[in-house]
Amino acid sequence: MARPAPSDDAVIRATDLAKTYRTPFRRKKVEALRGVSFAVGKGEVFGFLGPNGAGKTTTIRLLMGLCSITAGSASILGQPVPSREARQRLGFLPEQPYFYDYLDVVELLDLGGRLFGIAAAERRRRGDRLIERVGLRHARGLALKKFSKGMMQRAGLAMALINDPDLVVLDEPMSGLDPVGRKEVRDLILELRDQGKTVFFSSHILSDVEQISDRVAIVVGGKIQDVGRPRELVGHAPLGTEVLLHLTAAGDVTAGAAAPADALAAATAAITARADKVRAERDELLAVLGPGADVDDFLAFARGHGGKVVSVTPRYETLEDLFLRRVEAARAPAAREAAS
Amino acid sequence: MIGRLWAIALNTFREAARIRVLYGILVLVVGANLLAIVLGEMSIHEQARVARDIGLAGISLFGALTAIFLGVFLLFSEVQRRTIYAIISKPIARAEFVVGKYLGMALVLSVLVALFAVAMALLLASQGVAVSAAVGKAVVLAWCEVLTVAAIAVFFSSFSSPFLSGIFALALFVIGRVTPDLRNAAAGADAPWIRTVARTTLEIVPDLHLFAVSGRAVDGEHVTVHGDFVSWGYVASAAGHGLLWIAALLVLSCVIFQRREFV
Ligand SMILES: Nc1ncnc2c1ncn2[C@@H]1O[C@H](COP(=O)(O)OP(=O)(O)OP(=O)(O)O)[C@@H](O)[C@H]1O
Ligand SMILES: [Mg+2]
Repeated sequence: MARPAPSDDAVIRATDLAKTYRTPFRRKKVEALRGVSFAVGKGEVFGFLGPNGAGKTTTIRLLMGLCSITAGSASILGQPVPSREARQRLGFLPEQPYFYDYLDVVELLDLGGRLFGIAAAERRRRGDRLIERVGLRHARGLALKKFSKGMMQRAGLAMALINDPDLVVLDEPMSGLDPVGRKEVRDLILELRDQGKTVFFSSHILSDVEQISDRVAIVVGGKIQDVGRPRELVGHAPLGTEVLLHLTAAGDVTAGAAAPADALAAATAAITARADKVRAERDELLAVLGPGADVDDFLAFARGHGGKVVSVTPRYETLEDLFLRRVEAARAPAAREAAS
Repeated sequence: MIGRLWAIALNTFREAARIRVLYGILVLVVGANLLAIVLGEMSIHEQARVARDIGLAGISLFGALTAIFLGVFLLFSEVQRRTIYAIISKPIARAEFVVGKYLGMALVLSVLVALFAVAMALLLASQGVAVSAAVGKAVVLAWCEVLTVAAIAVFFSSFSSPFLSGIFALALFVIGRVTPDLRNAAAGADAPWIRTVARTTLEIVPDLHLFAVSGRAVDGEHVTVHGDFVSWGYVASAAGHGLLWIAALLVLSCVIFQRREFV
């Protein structure tokens, strides 16, 4: 379903956001963000992508009011950051969340509920429902100290949702989770979207982001490289074509070799010469053709050399390709700078 | 606001109640009392004296050390272990967090003081000595001192590491106890620079001596918890003095905490 692009009623708006960390005493500066602008519309699932150290957590810290903004501005739910009013309608999962050792998850959620001024009976009801929802029922009475990483992540998710927030900000919600857990978090995010909530989450698990995000931003080196719908960001022109062939030595008419093994080798060599890239394993051969290649012609040639076509697959750019390209491009000038 | 303060205070209380060292301290103080009584071959009168002295000293010394320990670690560990992220991203003011934290510590310390006091009272009762009003007053004074020391520790830990905060708080505690000597120095020291240092120190250090006056002179009269002690009026004014210090220190802590970066 197409979602309208964010207008001025953006749930999150960052304008030229910059952050320079200063270590006290040593006066060393780290420019973590260098002018980041984006807007997240109501009801969107917005994926915030970037390699390690790109500035994802920093952006989220600024939005959450955990540390000061060096330059630029940000607003959340229509309120300039930091705003207590906005925090009333906000849920936040910190990166690698950690909670009080000595509480169990029921007590933790009770504490969370109290901070929102939720009445006791309602706190208990919501707590129970959320514990169920994030799959921690079996760990109800267990001290958080004894939680595994994934369990802690789940407790954090429950803590982020205790106030039934309009906006949910999750810093790497899938980290530390097994494939089942990751799927559960994806489902949870989609469920939140279906409830009309806005979800902003950071991640470097590209497949997760691609599957559930309405829009994504790619941040590298403290700068936004791309913002948009995943399918629009990656181009529509195919990157090339993959052809999977099954080779039969008997069918080779040109080689005329005596031994079948020699014939197979000869066919492989001939086909390899025609393709951009080839991976061969016994009688299976995967050929990659460039974007401009004549696929028909190649297939005819391959058939002529005893190849049986198993499959022909066009390759489009994935979010991962784009991501890697952006990281590469951002690093190249930096590396050149460092070298000179 | 009360709800949020209470939520933080209660959580802090729970956290502190899980610290095993506190129980150790409790056992130590009560044990020291018992030991003094059992080992000393004293008349009943002397035993009561010893029980009172050790009991009261235990309250204010161990109380103050515990206050420093809690004040220094409880705030710091929230930041260190990043448990604070999930709290201050909720609609709570940072000032509420700091004050709630202090209230929780105050609650723990109050329970501790009460336990010390009850232990002392039981001990006295076992000697057939009734608890005098003087002892009651002394306990209240010691309690006020402990709460003031906790505020000092919280203040330092709002901007500095536990180690430094602990040293600073301990230094203030010790200096605060010897204000009469400082006053003498300020008035009568030979070197003018000593007078200046003493005077400046008096300006910035909470007068903790107010809370530990037994065996000293108050308004020119010798007071002792074993005989003629201070009036309730004195206790009230000392408590007021402590409260002012606590309020001032907490306001400063809140201002500092407000500006802190949580990264
Ligand atoms: N407290 C800090 N003091 C100094 N520099 C910091 C601090 N926190 C982060 N940085 C620097 O800021 C940059 C961005 O860090 P940030 O944590 O925002 O990255 P990230 O995108 O969240 O990475 P990751 O995927 O590893 O979580 C990095 O270069 C990091 O070294
Ligand atoms: Mg991060």
